Amino acid sequence: MSYDVVGKNIIRVDGLSKVTGKATYPQDISMDNMLYGKTLRSIKPHAYIKVDISKALNLEGVKAVLTAKDVPGKNHHGVLFKDHEVFCEKKVRRIGDPIAFVVAETEEIAENAVDKIKVEYNEIEPIFDPIKAMDKDSPKVHDSSNIVYHYKLRQGNIDKGFKNCDKIVENEYKTSRTDHAFLQPEAGISYIDKEGRYAVCVATQYPHYDRLEIAEALGVKEEKVRVINAAVGGAFGGREDITLQIHLALAAMKLKRPIKAVYSRKESFNAHCKRHPLIMKYKTGADKQGNLIALKAEIIGDTGAYASWAINVLRKAGVHATGPYEIPNVEVDSIAVYTNNPFSGAMRGFGATQIPIAHEQQMDMLAESLGLDPLTIRMKNIFTKGSKTSTGQILKESVPLDKCLAEIDKKMNFTQSYKGGVKE
Amino acid sequence: MKDIKINVNGKTHKLNIKEDERLVDTLRNRLGLTGVKEGCSEGECGACTVIMDGETVTSCTVLTFQAKGKEIITIEGINGGNKIHPIQQAFLDEGAVQCGFCTPGMILSAKVLLDKNPEPTREEARKAISGNLCRCTGYNKIVDAIIKASKYLKREGN
Ligand code: FES
Ligand code: FES
Repeated sequence: MSYDVVGKNIIRVDGLSKVTGKATYPQDISMDNMLYGKTLRSIKPHAYIKVDISKALNLEGVKAVLTAKDVPGKNHHGVLFKDHEVFCEKKVRRIGDPIAFVVAETEEIAENAVDKIKVEYNEIEPIFDPIKAMDKDSPKVHDSSNIVYHYKLRQGNIDKGFKNCDKIVENEYKTSRTDHAFLQPEAGISYIDKEGRYAVCVATQYPHYDRLEIAEALGVKEEKVRVINAAVGGAFGGREDITLQIHLALAAMKLKRPIKAVYSRKESFNAHCKRHPLIMKYKTGADKQGNLIALKAEIIGDTGAYASWAINVLRKAGVHATGPYEIPNVEVDSIAVYTNNPFSGAMRGFGATQIPIAHEQQMDMLAESLGLDPLTIRMKNIFTKGSKTSTGQILKESVPLDKCLAEIDKKMNFTQSYKGGVKE
Repeated sequence: MKDIKINVNGKTHKLNIKEDERLVDTLRNRLGLTGVKEGCSEGECGACTVIMDGETVTSCTVLTFQAKGKEIITIEGINGGNKIHPIQQAFLDEGAVQCGFCTPGMILSAKVLLDKNPEPTREEARKAISGNLCRCTGYNKIVDAIIKASKYLKREGN
Protein backbone atom coordinates (compact mmCIF):
# COMPACT_ATOMS: atom_id res chain seq x y z
CA MET A 1 0.00 0.00 0.00
CA SER A 2 1.36 3.43 -0.81
CA TYR A 3 0.38 6.57 1.02
CA ASP A 4 -0.10 10.07 -0.32
CA VAL A 5 0.64 11.84 2.93
CA VAL A 6 2.12 9.51 5.58
CA GLY A 7 5.90 9.57 5.47
CA LYS A 8 6.03 12.52 3.09
CA ASN A 9 6.75 16.18 3.64
CA ILE A 10 3.56 17.99 2.76
CA ILE A 11 3.34 21.77 2.59
CA ARG A 12 0.27 22.92 4.48
CA VAL A 13 -2.53 24.29 2.33
CA ASP A 14 -2.75 27.56 4.24
CA GLY A 15 1.03 27.97 4.48
CA LEU A 16 1.44 30.41 1.62
CA SER A 17 -1.26 32.75 2.90
CA LYS A 18 0.38 32.71 6.33
CA VAL A 19 3.98 33.42 5.27
CA THR A 20 2.80 36.28 3.07
CA GLY A 21 0.64 37.84 5.81
CA LYS A 22 -2.52 37.43 3.75
CA ALA A 23 -4.24 34.91 6.03
CA THR A 24 -7.32 36.59 7.45
CA TYR A 25 -7.88 36.35 11.21
CA PRO A 26 -11.12 37.85 12.48
CA GLN A 27 -9.43 41.07 13.67
CA ASP A 28 -8.28 41.66 10.08
CA ILE A 29 -11.83 42.02 8.75
CA SER A 30 -13.57 45.39 8.49
CA MET A 31 -16.92 46.20 6.93
CA ASP A 32 -18.65 49.39 5.84
CA ASN A 33 -20.90 50.98 8.42
CA MET A 34 -19.32 48.87 11.16
CA LEU A 35 -19.87 49.38 14.89
CA TYR A 36 -17.62 48.28 17.78
CA GLY A 37 -18.43 46.21 20.81
CA LYS A 38 -16.87 46.13 24.30
CA THR A 39 -17.70 43.84 27.17
CA LEU A 40 -18.23 44.85 30.78
CA ARG A 41 -16.96 42.10 33.07
CA SER A 42 -17.34 41.38 36.74
CA ILE A 43 -14.61 42.60 39.07
CA LYS A 44 -15.89 40.49 41.98
CA PRO A 45 -15.65 36.73 42.34
CA HIS A 46 -19.06 36.15 43.94
CA ALA A 47 -21.82 38.73 44.24
CA TYR A 48 -25.40 39.62 43.47
CA ILE A 49 -25.53 42.45 40.99
CA LYS A 50 -27.71 45.39 40.05
CA VAL A 51 -26.86 47.04 36.76
CA ASP A 52 -27.69 50.62 35.72
CA ILE A 53 -26.91 51.32 32.07
CA SER A 54 -28.66 54.68 31.73
CA LYS A 55 -25.53 56.88 31.80
CA ALA A 56 -23.79 54.70 29.24
CA LEU A 57 -26.79 54.70 26.93
CA ASN A 58 -26.94 58.50 26.95
CA LEU A 59 -23.38 58.87 25.73
CA GLU A 60 -23.16 60.20 22.20
CA GLY A 61 -22.25 57.48 19.71
CA VAL A 62 -23.53 54.63 21.86
CA LYS A 63 -25.98 52.49 19.91
CA ALA A 64 -26.91 49.83 22.45
CA VAL A 65 -26.00 48.41 25.82
CA LEU A 66 -26.97 44.75 25.90
CA THR A 67 -27.63 42.96 29.18
CA ALA A 68 -29.46 39.79 30.25
CA LYS A 69 -32.76 41.50 29.41
CA ASP A 70 -31.78 41.70 25.75
CA VAL A 71 -31.38 37.98 25.25
CA PRO A 72 -34.55 36.93 23.42
CA GLY A 73 -33.85 33.20 23.63
CA LYS A 74 -32.13 31.30 26.40
CA ASN A 75 -29.66 33.29 28.46
CA HIS A 76 -27.23 30.40 28.68
CA HIS A 77 -24.50 28.39 26.99
CA GLY A 78 -21.92 25.74 27.81
CA VAL A 79 -20.30 22.81 26.01
CA LEU A 80 -21.85 20.17 28.31
CA PHE A 81 -23.91 21.83 31.03
CA LYS A 82 -25.60 25.10 30.15
CA ASP A 83 -24.23 26.75 33.28
CA HIS A 84 -22.79 29.93 31.71
CA GLU A 85 -25.05 32.92 31.26
CA VAL A 86 -24.71 34.99 28.10
CA PHE A 87 -24.89 37.99 30.47
CA CYS A 88 -25.07 37.50 34.24
CA GLU A 89 -28.56 38.37 35.34
CA LYS A 90 -28.57 38.30 39.14
CA LYS A 91 -25.26 36.89 40.20
CA VAL A 92 -21.61 36.83 39.14
CA ARG A 93 -19.56 33.73 39.92
CA ARG A 94 -16.04 34.75 38.98
CA ILE A 95 -13.92 37.77 38.10
CA GLY A 96 -14.41 38.24 34.37
CA ASP A 97 -18.03 37.11 34.08
CA PRO A 98 -19.72 39.11 31.29
CA ILE A 99 -22.39 41.56 32.47
CA ALA A 100 -23.03 43.84 29.50
CA PHE A 101 -21.94 44.49 25.92
CA VAL A 102 -21.71 48.08 24.71
CA VAL A 103 -22.01 48.82 21.01
CA ALA A 104 -20.84 52.21 19.73
CA GLU A 105 -19.64 54.09 16.68
CA THR A 106 -15.99 53.81 17.70
CA GLU A 107 -13.93 51.60 19.96
CA GLU A 108 -13.08 54.58 22.17
CA ILE A 109 -16.70 55.53 22.73
CA ALA A 110 -17.54 51.90 23.55
CA GLU A 111 -14.71 51.80 26.06
CA ASN A 112 -15.83 55.04 27.71
CA ALA A 113 -19.39 53.78 27.87
CA VAL A 114 -18.30 50.59 29.63
CA ASP A 115 -16.86 52.79 32.39
CA LYS A 116 -20.18 54.61 32.68
CA ILE A 117 -22.19 51.48 33.49
CA LYS A 118 -22.94 51.31 37.19
CA VAL A 119 -22.78 47.90 38.79
CA GLU A 120 -23.81 47.50 42.40
CA TYR A 121 -22.11 44.42 43.80
CA ASN A 122 -23.71 42.80 46.81
CA GLU A 123 -20.92 40.44 47.76
CA ILE A 124 -21.48 36.85 48.81
CA GLU A 125 -18.86 34.79 50.62
CA PRO A 126 -16.66 33.33 47.87
CA ILE A 127 -15.13 29.87 47.84
CA PHE A 128 -11.69 29.38 46.29
CA ASP A 129 -10.47 26.12 47.85
CA PRO A 130 -11.85 23.09 45.98
CA ILE A 131 -11.48 20.82 49.00
CA LYS A 132 -13.48 23.17 51.23
CA ALA A 133 -15.95 23.66 48.38
CA MET A 134 -16.91 19.97 48.71
CA ASP A 135 -18.25 20.54 52.27
CA LYS A 136 -22.00 20.50 52.55
CA ASP A 137 -22.09 23.94 54.21
CA SER A 138 -19.69 25.72 51.89
CA PRO A 139 -20.97 28.66 49.81
CA LYS A 140 -22.62 27.38 46.65
CA VAL A 141 -21.38 28.65 43.30
CA HIS A 142 -24.51 27.43 41.53
CA ASP A 143 -27.72 26.40 43.21
CA SER A 144 -26.88 22.84 44.26
CA SER A 145 -23.74 21.03 45.44
CA ASN A 146 -20.34 22.25 44.23
CA ILE A 147 -19.45 18.69 43.25
CA VAL A 148 -19.91 18.53 39.50
CA TYR A 149 -18.73 14.99 38.90
CA HIS A 150 -17.29 11.97 40.70
CA TYR A 151 -15.58 9.24 38.71
CA LYS A 152 -14.85 5.96 40.51
CA LEU A 153 -12.49 3.28 39.32
CA ARG A 154 -12.23 0.00 41.28
CA GLN A 155 -10.18 -3.09 40.52
CA GLY A 156 -9.15 -6.01 42.77
CA ASN A 157 -9.10 -5.52 46.54
CA ILE A 158 -7.32 -2.36 47.61
CA ASP A 159 -6.96 -3.20 51.34
CA LYS A 160 -5.59 -6.66 50.71
CA GLY A 161 -3.34 -5.23 48.04
CA PHE A 162 -1.65 -2.76 50.38
CA LYS A 163 -1.27 -5.52 53.04
CA ASN A 164 0.80 -7.50 50.56
CA CYS A 165 3.14 -4.60 49.76
CA ASP A 166 6.72 -4.42 51.04
CA LYS A 167 7.02 -0.70 50.34
CA ILE A 168 4.37 2.00 50.13
CA VAL A 169 4.87 5.65 49.22
CA GLU A 170 2.25 8.24 49.89
CA ASN A 171 2.29 11.86 48.70
CA GLU A 172 0.17 14.78 47.62
CA TYR A 173 0.82 16.67 44.37
CA LYS A 174 -0.61 19.90 43.04
CA THR A 175 -0.52 21.36 39.56
CA SER A 176 -1.24 24.96 38.71
CA ARG A 177 -3.86 26.73 36.64
CA THR A 178 -2.47 27.43 33.14
CA ASP A 179 -3.58 29.67 30.32
CA HIS A 180 -3.25 28.66 26.68
CA ALA A 181 -2.00 32.12 25.72
CA PHE A 182 -2.70 31.44 22.05
CA LEU A 183 -1.07 34.28 20.17
CA GLN A 184 -4.20 35.71 18.49
CA PRO A 185 -6.58 37.23 21.05
CA GLU A 186 -10.29 36.55 20.54
CA ALA A 187 -11.96 38.72 17.90
CA GLY A 188 -14.99 38.56 15.68
CA ILE A 189 -17.40 40.34 13.43
CA SER A 190 -21.12 39.75 13.02
CA TYR A 191 -23.58 40.98 10.39
CA ILE A 192 -26.79 40.05 8.64
CA ASP A 193 -25.89 38.34 5.37
CA LYS A 194 -27.68 38.60 2.01
CA GLU A 195 -29.96 35.72 2.89
CA GLY A 196 -30.99 37.35 6.14
CA ARG A 197 -28.92 35.06 8.35
CA TYR A 198 -26.95 36.17 11.39
CA ALA A 199 -23.39 35.63 10.25
CA VAL A 200 -20.68 35.45 12.89
CA CYS A 201 -17.10 35.35 11.75
CA VAL A 202 -14.71 34.21 14.50
CA ALA A 203 -11.76 31.96 15.21
CA THR A 204 -13.27 28.92 16.88
CA GLN A 205 -12.65 25.25 17.52
CA TYR A 206 -16.36 24.40 17.26
CA PRO A 207 -18.28 26.27 14.54
CA HIS A 208 -21.10 23.70 14.80
CA TYR A 209 -21.51 24.04 18.58
CA ASP A 210 -21.23 27.81 18.33
CA ARG A 211 -24.02 27.90 15.78
CA LEU A 212 -26.30 25.87 18.01
CA GLU A 213 -25.60 28.03 21.05
CA ILE A 214 -25.97 31.30 19.16
CA ALA A 215 -29.32 30.15 17.71
CA GLU A 216 -30.55 29.11 21.14
CA ALA A 217 -29.66 32.49 22.68
CA LEU A 218 -31.14 34.44 19.79
CA GLY A 219 -34.26 32.29 19.88
CA VAL A 220 -34.05 31.51 16.17
CA LYS A 221 -33.71 28.35 14.10
CA GLU A 222 -30.20 27.07 13.54
CA GLU A 223 -30.57 27.70 9.80
CA LYS A 224 -30.79 31.43 10.59
CA VAL A 225 -27.24 31.43 11.95
CA ARG A 226 -24.05 31.09 9.99
CA VAL A 227 -20.68 30.72 11.69
CA ILE A 228 -17.65 31.42 9.51
CA ASN A 229 -14.32 30.23 10.80
CA ALA A 230 -11.58 32.68 9.90
CA ALA A 231 -7.90 31.81 10.31
CA VAL A 232 -7.45 30.60 13.90
CA GLY A 233 -4.42 32.00 15.70
CA GLY A 234 -3.82 29.04 18.01
CA ALA A 235 -6.39 27.57 20.35
CA PHE A 236 -5.14 24.53 22.34
CA GLY A 237 -8.59 23.98 23.85
CA GLY A 238 -9.09 27.61 24.80
CA ARG A 239 -11.52 28.29 21.97
CA GLU A 240 -13.93 25.45 22.74
CA ASP A 241 -16.21 27.52 24.97
CA ILE A 242 -18.17 30.52 23.68
CA THR A 243 -16.66 33.95 24.39
CA LEU A 244 -17.85 36.81 22.15
CA GLN A 245 -19.90 34.84 19.57
CA ILE A 246 -23.35 35.33 21.11
CA HIS A 247 -22.69 38.95 22.14
CA LEU A 248 -21.82 39.86 18.56
CA ALA A 249 -24.80 38.06 17.05
CA LEU A 250 -27.21 39.68 19.50
CA ALA A 251 -25.86 43.10 18.58
CA ALA A 252 -26.17 42.45 14.83
CA MET A 253 -29.73 41.23 15.37
CA LYS A 254 -30.70 44.31 17.32
CA LEU A 255 -28.89 47.00 15.32
CA LYS A 256 -28.86 45.45 11.83
CA ARG A 257 -25.33 46.71 11.25
CA PRO A 258 -21.98 44.89 11.28
CA ILE A 259 -20.39 44.74 14.76
CA LYS A 260 -16.74 44.04 15.45
CA ALA A 261 -15.04 43.23 18.73
CA VAL A 262 -11.39 42.54 19.50
CA TYR A 263 -10.21 41.44 22.93
CA SER A 264 -7.04 42.80 24.48
CA ARG A 265 -4.60 40.24 25.86
CA LYS A 266 -5.89 41.02 29.35
CA GLU A 267 -9.49 40.46 28.39
CA SER A 268 -8.49 37.27 26.60
CA PHE A 269 -7.04 35.97 29.88
CA ASN A 270 -10.27 36.91 31.66
CA ALA A 271 -12.60 35.48 29.05
CA HIS A 272 -11.55 31.91 28.28
CA CYS A 273 -10.99 28.77 30.31
CA LYS A 274 -7.80 27.53 31.99
CA ARG A 275 -6.23 24.12 32.49
CA HIS A 276 -7.75 22.39 35.55
CA PRO A 277 -5.44 22.65 38.55
CA LEU A 278 -5.40 19.19 40.17
CA ILE A 279 -4.77 18.09 43.72
CA MET A 280 -3.61 14.48 43.56
CA LYS A 281 -3.31 12.31 46.68
CA TYR A 282 -1.42 9.17 45.78
CA LYS A 283 -0.58 5.93 47.58
CA THR A 284 1.42 3.39 45.59
CA GLY A 285 2.76 0.04 46.84
CA ALA A 286 5.04 -2.67 45.47
CA ASP A 287 6.73 -5.91 46.56
CA LYS A 288 10.49 -6.16 47.21
CA GLN A 289 11.24 -6.87 43.57
CA GLY A 290 9.44 -3.69 42.49
CA ASN A 291 6.25 -5.26 41.11
CA LEU A 292 3.36 -2.84 41.65
CA ILE A 293 0.59 -4.32 43.77
CA ALA A 294 -1.74 -1.51 44.75
CA LEU A 295 -2.53 2.12 43.85
CA LYS A 296 -4.99 4.45 45.48
CA ALA A 297 -5.56 7.95 44.14
CA GLU A 298 -7.84 10.81 44.98
CA ILE A 299 -7.85 13.51 42.31
CA ILE A 300 -9.63 16.79 42.86
CA GLY A 301 -10.01 19.16 39.95
CA ASP A 302 -10.87 22.84 40.42
CA THR A 303 -13.20 23.68 37.55
CA GLY A 304 -13.79 27.23 38.80
CA ALA A 305 -17.12 28.90 38.20
CA TYR A 306 -18.22 26.76 35.24
CA ALA A 307 -18.11 23.09 34.33
CA SER A 308 -17.00 23.41 30.71
CA TRP A 309 -15.31 20.05 30.00
CA ALA A 310 -14.68 19.21 33.68
CA ILE A 311 -16.41 15.84 33.41
CA ASN A 312 -14.32 14.71 30.47
CA VAL A 313 -11.13 16.13 31.95
CA LEU A 314 -11.55 14.52 35.37
CA ARG A 315 -12.66 11.25 33.80
CA LYS A 316 -9.57 11.21 31.65
CA ALA A 317 -7.39 12.03 34.64
CA GLY A 318 -9.01 9.12 36.51
CA VAL A 319 -8.66 6.66 33.64
CA HIS A 320 -4.98 7.57 33.29
CA ALA A 321 -4.31 7.59 37.03
CA THR A 322 -2.28 4.36 37.05
CA GLY A 323 0.00 5.61 34.31
CA PRO A 324 1.10 3.03 31.75
CA TYR A 325 1.44 0.32 34.42
CA GLU A 326 -0.34 -2.92 35.19
CA ILE A 327 -1.51 -2.87 38.81
CA PRO A 328 -3.83 -5.60 40.17
CA ASN A 329 -5.49 -3.53 42.93
CA VAL A 330 -6.67 -0.02 42.12
CA GLU A 331 -8.98 2.51 43.70
CA VAL A 332 -9.34 5.90 42.02
CA ASP A 333 -11.72 8.74 42.88
CA SER A 334 -11.64 11.69 40.53
CA ILE A 335 -13.80 14.67 41.42
CA ALA A 336 -14.60 17.96 39.66
CA VAL A 337 -15.58 20.86 41.91
CA TYR A 338 -17.04 24.33 41.35
CA THR A 339 -15.28 27.31 43.00
CA ASN A 340 -15.25 31.07 42.35
CA ASN A 341 -11.93 30.82 40.53
CA PRO A 342 -11.46 31.36 36.77
CA PHE A 343 -13.21 28.48 35.03
CA SER A 344 -11.30 25.49 33.76
CA GLY A 345 -11.87 23.57 30.56
CA ALA A 346 -9.99 22.00 27.71
CA MET A 347 -6.29 22.47 27.44
CA ARG A 348 -3.80 20.22 25.66
CA GLY A 349 -4.19 16.75 27.14
CA PHE A 350 -7.53 17.08 28.90
CA GLY A 351 -6.37 15.85 32.33
CA ALA A 352 -3.80 13.41 30.98
CA THR A 353 -1.14 16.13 31.14
CA GLN A 354 -1.39 16.78 34.87
CA ILE A 355 -1.58 13.22 36.12
CA PRO A 356 1.94 11.93 35.21
CA ILE A 357 3.41 14.46 37.64
CA ALA A 358 1.93 12.29 40.39
CA HIS A 359 2.21 8.73 39.08
CA GLU A 360 5.73 9.14 37.75
CA GLN A 361 7.07 10.85 40.87
CA GLN A 362 5.57 7.96 42.86
CA MET A 363 7.51 5.52 40.66
CA ASP A 364 10.79 7.35 41.22
CA MET A 365 10.28 7.44 44.98
CA LEU A 366 9.27 3.77 45.12
CA ALA A 367 12.34 2.85 43.09
CA GLU A 368 14.62 4.79 45.40
CA SER A 369 13.14 3.23 48.53
CA LEU A 370 13.54 -0.25 47.02
CA GLY A 371 17.10 0.37 45.88
CA LEU A 372 16.14 0.10 42.21
CA ASP A 373 16.90 2.49 39.40
CA PRO A 374 13.97 4.42 37.88
CA LEU A 375 14.04 2.48 34.61
CA THR A 376 14.15 -1.03 36.03
CA ILE A 377 11.03 -0.51 38.15
CA ARG A 378 9.19 0.81 35.11
CA MET A 379 10.27 -2.04 32.86
CA LYS A 380 8.80 -4.50 35.39
CA ASN A 381 5.37 -2.90 35.30
CA ILE A 382 4.72 -1.21 31.96
CA PHE A 383 1.97 -2.14 29.57
CA THR A 384 2.97 -4.51 26.80
CA LYS A 385 0.90 -6.23 24.13
CA GLY A 386 -1.82 -8.22 25.88
CA SER A 387 -1.79 -6.12 29.10
CA LYS A 388 -5.07 -5.38 30.83
CA THR A 389 -5.54 -1.80 31.99
CA SER A 390 -7.29 -1.08 35.29
CA THR A 391 -10.38 -0.06 33.31
CA GLY A 392 -10.51 -3.56 31.84
CA GLN A 393 -9.19 -2.85 28.38
CA ILE A 394 -7.00 -5.53 26.80
CA LEU A 395 -4.26 -3.86 24.76
CA LYS A 396 -4.23 -5.93 21.59
CA GLU A 397 -2.43 -3.69 19.15
CA SER A 398 0.93 -2.00 19.13
CA VAL A 399 2.28 -1.21 22.63
CA PRO A 400 5.97 -0.47 21.98
CA LEU A 401 6.76 1.25 25.27
CA ASP A 402 9.28 -1.45 26.29
CA LYS A 403 11.19 -1.02 23.04
CA CYS A 404 11.20 2.75 23.46
CA LEU A 405 12.56 2.57 27.02
CA ALA A 406 15.18 -0.04 26.06
CA GLU A 407 16.36 2.25 23.28
CA ILE A 408 16.63 5.20 25.69
CA ASP A 409 18.56 3.04 28.13
CA LYS A 410 21.02 2.05 25.43
CA LYS A 411 21.56 5.61 24.19
CA MET A 412 21.80 7.21 27.64
CA ASN A 413 23.45 4.35 29.46
CA PHE A 414 20.73 4.96 32.01
CA THR A 415 20.58 1.84 34.22
CA GLN A 416 24.40 1.62 34.25
CA SER A 417 24.64 5.06 35.82
CA TYR A 418 22.64 3.99 38.89
CA LYS A 419 23.93 1.99 41.85
CA GLY A 420 21.26 0.72 44.27
CA GLY A 421 18.68 3.26 43.14
CA VAL A 422 21.07 6.22 43.45
CA LYS A 423 22.63 8.05 40.52
CA GLU A 424 26.41 7.87 40.63
CA MET B 1 -3.66 65.91 14.54
CA LYS B 2 -0.32 66.00 12.79
CA ASP B 3 0.87 65.75 9.19
CA ILE B 4 3.71 63.35 8.51
CA LYS B 5 5.35 61.48 5.67
CA ILE B 6 6.42 57.89 6.03
CA ASN B 7 7.71 55.43 3.53
CA VAL B 8 6.08 52.02 3.78
CA ASN B 9 7.11 49.14 1.53
CA GLY B 10 8.74 51.55 -0.89
CA LYS B 11 5.82 53.93 -1.16
CA THR B 12 5.66 57.35 0.48
CA HIS B 13 2.43 58.16 2.33
CA LYS B 14 1.32 61.58 3.49
CA LEU B 15 -0.78 61.05 6.57
CA ASN B 16 -2.75 63.15 9.00
CA ILE B 17 -2.36 61.24 12.25
CA LYS B 18 -3.38 61.57 15.88
CA GLU B 19 -0.54 62.56 18.23
CA ASP B 20 -0.89 59.36 20.25
CA GLU B 21 -1.52 57.06 17.31
CA ARG B 22 0.41 53.79 17.45
CA LEU B 23 2.31 52.62 14.38
CA VAL B 24 0.50 49.26 14.46
CA ASP B 25 -2.85 51.06 14.09
CA THR B 26 -1.62 53.29 11.29
CA LEU B 27 -0.32 50.31 9.36
CA ARG B 28 -3.36 48.09 9.95
CA ASN B 29 -6.22 50.56 9.90
CA ARG B 30 -5.07 53.40 7.64
CA LEU B 31 -2.89 51.48 5.20
CA GLY B 32 -4.72 48.13 5.36
CA LEU B 33 -1.52 46.18 6.09
CA THR B 34 -3.19 43.52 8.22
CA GLY B 35 -0.18 41.22 7.92
CA VAL B 36 1.04 43.24 10.92
CA LYS B 37 -0.43 41.31 13.87
CA GLU B 38 -1.22 42.42 17.41
CA GLY B 39 -0.89 39.86 20.18
CA CYS B 40 -0.11 41.70 23.42
CA SER B 41 0.03 45.48 22.84
CA GLU B 42 2.99 45.86 25.18
CA GLY B 43 6.12 44.87 23.31
CA GLU B 44 6.25 41.31 24.62
CA CYS B 45 5.14 38.96 21.85
CA GLY B 46 6.70 40.34 18.67
CA ALA B 47 3.64 39.62 16.49
CA CYS B 48 3.56 43.30 15.44
CA THR B 49 7.22 43.36 14.39
CA VAL B 50 8.08 45.54 11.40
CA ILE B 51 11.40 46.74 10.01
CA MET B 52 12.15 50.44 10.53
CA ASP B 53 15.30 51.76 8.85
CA GLY B 54 16.80 48.28 8.84
CA GLU B 55 16.04 47.36 12.45
CA THR B 56 13.13 45.42 13.92
CA VAL B 57 10.69 47.34 16.09
CA THR B 58 7.49 46.25 17.81
CA SER B 59 4.97 48.55 16.12
CA CYS B 60 2.65 48.45 19.15
CA THR B 61 5.19 50.40 21.20
CA VAL B 62 6.15 52.90 18.48
CA LEU B 63 4.08 56.02 18.00
CA THR B 64 3.52 56.86 14.37
CA PHE B 65 5.12 60.32 14.65
CA GLN B 66 8.34 58.55 15.67
CA ALA B 67 8.32 56.90 12.23
CA LYS B 68 8.34 60.28 10.51
CA GLY B 69 10.65 60.19 7.50
CA LYS B 70 11.61 56.58 8.16
CA GLU B 71 11.45 53.57 5.88
CA ILE B 72 9.19 50.82 7.06
CA ILE B 73 8.95 47.28 5.72
CA THR B 74 6.07 44.97 6.63
CA ILE B 75 5.48 41.36 5.60
CA GLU B 76 3.54 42.67 2.60
CA GLY B 77 6.62 44.45 1.30
CA ILE B 78 9.32 41.95 2.07
CA ASN B 79 9.90 41.14 -1.57
CA GLY B 80 8.48 44.04 -3.46
CA GLY B 81 5.06 42.42 -3.83
CA ASN B 82 4.42 39.30 -5.91
CA LYS B 83 7.19 36.73 -5.74
CA ILE B 84 7.72 34.84 -2.53
CA HIS B 85 10.90 35.73 -0.65
CA PRO B 86 13.42 32.92 0.05
CA ILE B 87 12.83 33.30 3.79
CA GLN B 88 9.10 32.76 3.25
CA GLN B 89 9.89 29.70 1.09
CA ALA B 90 12.15 28.30 3.79
CA PHE B 91 9.43 28.72 6.45
CA LEU B 92 7.05 26.79 4.19
CA ASP B 93 9.53 24.04 3.35
CA GLU B 94 10.57 23.48 6.96
CA GLY B 95 7.02 23.39 8.33
CA ALA B 96 7.83 26.41 10.51
CA VAL B 97 4.26 27.70 10.29
CA GLN B 98 1.27 26.47 12.26
CA CYS B 99 -1.39 29.00 13.21
CA GLY B 100 0.68 31.65 11.44
CA PHE B 101 -0.01 34.51 13.83
CA CYS B 102 3.65 34.85 14.82
CA THR B 103 4.89 34.16 11.29
CA PRO B 104 5.06 37.68 9.78
CA GLY B 105 7.01 38.93 12.80
CA MET B 106 9.30 35.90 12.77
CA ILE B 107 10.08 36.32 9.08
CA LEU B 108 10.87 40.03 9.49
CA SER B 109 13.17 39.33 12.45
CA ALA B 110 14.85 36.66 10.35
CA LYS B 111 15.26 39.13 7.49
CA VAL B 112 17.05 41.72 9.63
CA LEU B 113 19.38 38.99 10.91
CA LEU B 114 20.17 37.62 7.45
CA ASP B 115 20.66 41.10 5.98
CA LYS B 116 23.42 41.70 8.50
CA ASN B 117 24.72 38.18 8.95
CA PRO B 118 24.19 35.95 5.90
CA GLU B 119 25.47 32.78 7.58
CA PRO B 120 24.21 32.79 11.15
CA THR B 121 24.73 29.95 13.61
CA ARG B 122 21.68 28.34 15.25
CA GLU B 123 22.56 30.28 18.39
CA GLU B 124 22.53 33.58 16.48
CA ALA B 125 19.22 32.64 14.85
CA ARG B 126 17.71 31.95 18.27
CA LYS B 127 18.92 35.32 19.55
CA ALA B 128 17.44 37.09 16.51
CA ILE B 129 13.95 35.70 17.26
CA SER B 130 14.22 36.08 21.03
CA GLY B 131 11.67 38.90 20.87
CA ASN B 132 9.13 36.82 18.95
CA LEU B 133 6.89 34.36 20.77
CA CYS B 134 5.43 31.33 19.06
CA ARG B 135 2.85 29.28 20.97
CA CYS B 136 2.30 26.58 18.33
CA THR B 137 5.33 25.45 16.40
CA GLY B 138 8.07 25.61 18.97
CA TYR B 139 11.31 27.23 17.95
CA ASN B 140 13.33 24.38 16.43
CA LYS B 141 11.57 24.38 13.09
CA ILE B 142 11.73 28.16 12.94
CA VAL B 143 15.48 28.07 13.52
CA ASP B 144 15.75 25.30 10.88
CA ALA B 145 13.90 27.60 8.49
CA ILE B 146 16.24 30.52 9.15
CA ILE B 147 19.29 28.32 8.52
CA LYS B 148 17.68 26.99 5.34
CA ALA B 149 16.83 30.55 4.26
CA SER B 150 20.47 31.53 4.57
CA LYS B 151 21.32 28.71 2.13
CA TYR B 152 18.56 29.73 -0.28
CA LEU B 153 19.78 33.33 -0.23
CA LYS B 154 23.38 32.28 -0.83
CA ARG B 155 22.28 30.17 -3.80
CA GLU B 156 20.42 33.12 -5.23
CA GLY B 157 23.52 35.22 -4.72
CA ASN B 158 21.90 38.04 -2.78
S1 FES C 1 1.63 43.19 19.92
FE1 FES C 1 3.43 44.31 19.82
S2 FES C 1 4.84 43.06 20.83
FE2 FES C 1 2.97 41.98 21.09
S1 FES D 1 2.53 29.41 14.58
FE1 FES D 1 1.02 29.95 16.09
S2 FES D 1 2.12 31.32 17.33
FE2 FES D 1 3.65 30.63 15.97
